[in-house]
Amino acid sequence: MAASSKSAVVLKAVKKIAVQFCPFESNVRSTREFLLFVGSEKARSTNMNCEVITTVKHDKSEPVVDVTFVDGERLLMKGAKLTTREMLSAFQSRCTAKDPQAKAGVKK
Amino acid sequence: MQHWFYSTMTLQQDSIKTTVHVCSLTARLPAQTQSPAVSSGGRRSSECIIRAVVTSGITFFLSMMAATLCGKLLPKQGWLPVTQSVRHGSKAVTRHRKPIHILKQKLLAVTKYVPPTPVVPKGAYPSERQEVKEESGFVLLLKRELKKLFQDYKMVAVAQNCNSNAEDMRILKHRLHRHGIAVKFFPNQVMCSFLSDSVYSNMAPLFIGPTVLFVSKEPKVKEMLTSLRSSPQMTLLGACIDNTLLSAQGVVSYSKLPSVSVVQGELVSGLAMMTAHTASMLQRHPAHLSALLQQYVKQQSSEEAPKAEEAT
Repeated sequence: MAASSKSAVVLKAVKKIAVQFCPFESNVRSTREFLLFVGSEKARSTNMNCEVITTVKHDKSEPVVDVTFVDGERLLMKGAKLTTREMLSAFQSRCTAKDPQAKAGVKK
Repeated sequence: MQHWFYSTMTLQQDSIKTTVHVCSLTARLPAQTQSPAVSSGGRRSSECIIRAVVTSGITFFLSMMAATLCGKLLPKQGWLPVTQSVRHGSKAVTRHRKPIHILKQKLLAVTKYVPPTPVVPKGAYPSERQEVKEESGFVLLLKRELKKLFQDYKMVAVAQNCNSNAEDMRILKHRLHRHGIAVKFFPNQVMCSFLSDSVYSNMAPLFIGPTVLFVSKEPKVKEMLTSLRSSPQMTLLGACIDNTLLSAQGVVSYSKLPSVSVVQGELVSGLAMMTAHTASMLQRHPAHLSALLQQYVKQQSSEEAPKAEEAT
């Protein structure tokens, strides 16, 4: 995926990521790929305290990604009709919005 | 004695200066033509004449070339330039990409191939002809292996690994090997095409992204689950145990099932319970009667015993 290789996923402002999907459904591809990116070594190394929890269900439910940030904000992404790129861009934009604030504050 | 004088003319089309190496061409020419004619003899004359003709022809050609090309360079016959310039300037074969001449550029631009625009864009309609690609030998080999796998191994579990180092994989493989579970990798495309042909077509949507197969001859689910719990990046998606497709929760509940002998015992006892109940129901009345008679006999004997004691 060229979009994500440009900028690595920075998880510094993320507390927990809970991914749930039903693998026998046909609309889980984007959620699974999102899980791959978020659970990769590079992303994990940015924040070792961040938990990535995967739940595999079998109840024909929609795939859902629930992100809990450090400041208490929650991002809920329903991945049934979303592409991986959209999910990643939304997630990354929020991460970078929260993260450089802390970084810039520390630098100044 | 024939002295052959040769002239080498090297021409470069793109070079600015053409250099002509002339080795005493013009000076010797008249002498050559004359000498065969002077010597005469019976047999030698014909040979000399032939040679003369040939040489004169070649020299005429060369002289014509020389005249056309270096008419200005060597105006007088027999005059050789003192300095001979070495060919230099722009070359045709360069190490860098030589810029194309503007005229050539223009020509190429004008004569460029413009393909005809299709009336319908490419992806609009599906192609009429279905492309059937012949599978390579490696794919066939993999399919044969898969077939054998599904025949031999009773348990085939599918898991997705987000990221695992070689170290983690090694440890996991070792742990599973102790229980007789093998770890297999197959390309997703091959897997999907094989599954769609076989009975297990419903497993096909599981194979997205990096997947790992855990196969074992005996369905050892508990051990597998404990080993997978230790590696957090492996997510169990589903399993095919004894030709039944199970989800992740199904696998967990399968692991909680008691062993086969216990289940068989339970089944037998459950079946036997009904018949035992019927038998006891049938025998209730005679049993009751026999119990009553026994009680009566006991009472009688206990009454008689004190009477006998009183009598004595």
